[in-house]
Amino acid sequence: MTAEPRRLECTEVVENLYGYLDEELTAEVKAAVRAHISQCPDCFDHCQFERAFLRFLEARSRAQNAPPELKKRIFEQILLDRTRDA
Amino acid sequence: MPQTADEKRSAFEREALPHLDTVYRVALRFTGEPAKAQDLVQDTMLKAFRSWHRYETGTNVRAWLLTILRNTFINEYRKEKQRGPTVDISTAETFSLFDKVQEEDPEGRFFDQIIDDEVLQAVDDLPDEFRETLVLSDMEGMTYQEIADVTGAPVGTVKSRLFRARRALQRRLYDYAVEMGYIKRRSP
Ligand SMILES: [Zn+2]
Repeated sequence: MTAEPRRLECTEVVENLYGYLDEELTAEVKAAVRAHISQCPDCFDHCQFERAFLRFLEARSRAQNAPPELKKRIFEQILLDRTRDA
Repeated sequence: MPQTADEKRSAFEREALPHLDTVYRVALRFTGEPAKAQDLVQDTMLKAFRSWHRYETGTNVRAWLLTILRNTFINEYRKEKQRGPTVDISTAETFSLFDKVQEEDPEGRFFDQIIDDEVLQAVDDLPDEFRETLVLSDMEGMTYQEIADVTGAPVGTVKSRLFRARRALQRRLYDYAVEMGYIKRRSP
């Protein structure tokens, strides 16, 4: 038998939404948030919205990779570095 | 056991260099300019290479590199940077974008209309400690603990900075989306 997850109010769920989406909650709180979301359409929508927001942020930075000339400069710099480091 | 120069170089190339894109992206958000970011990355990678003997194999090399990047930025670059944050953090906590758009666009479809430059500018305008936390988390996918290790802030502080940074960013993007006509303003 698994224990019933603790009941949470909507405000507590909203406070914990980022922790939930970031996978930073304890197992107990996570289960309580999940149980609430599965039964509360408002919190479900809110969770989906915040998830979309975080995905949007992540997508917007991904296109920026180090320019090839920078990579080349760093390779050369390392190859030529003769500084003793011990 | 000391490594030969070749062994050291190949270990560094194998373990550290794959994180170059991450280091560059974070440097871009720290400095706000591609030319400065490139200098910062170059300085960071040279320092990392020279102190490679202090890196413990098998530990988090990305966090180690970003810690060097952050220290280099704070000690050598930040003072040159003269741009005040324009995003007000103090009242961010009470703003909820979802509450504003819940009726009109609950799935956040308007996000797709916001151009990259606007998003990145909004991130750049956050105060330093909020920007770095948000970038490491939401752009680079680091855990609260990793961010705490890189920034030296307690995990609880990381968590609350992240919350406020996200809300501040949402408010800024909301104002922008309203101004552009992507969504209608909703009174509080
Ligand atoms: Zn609810």
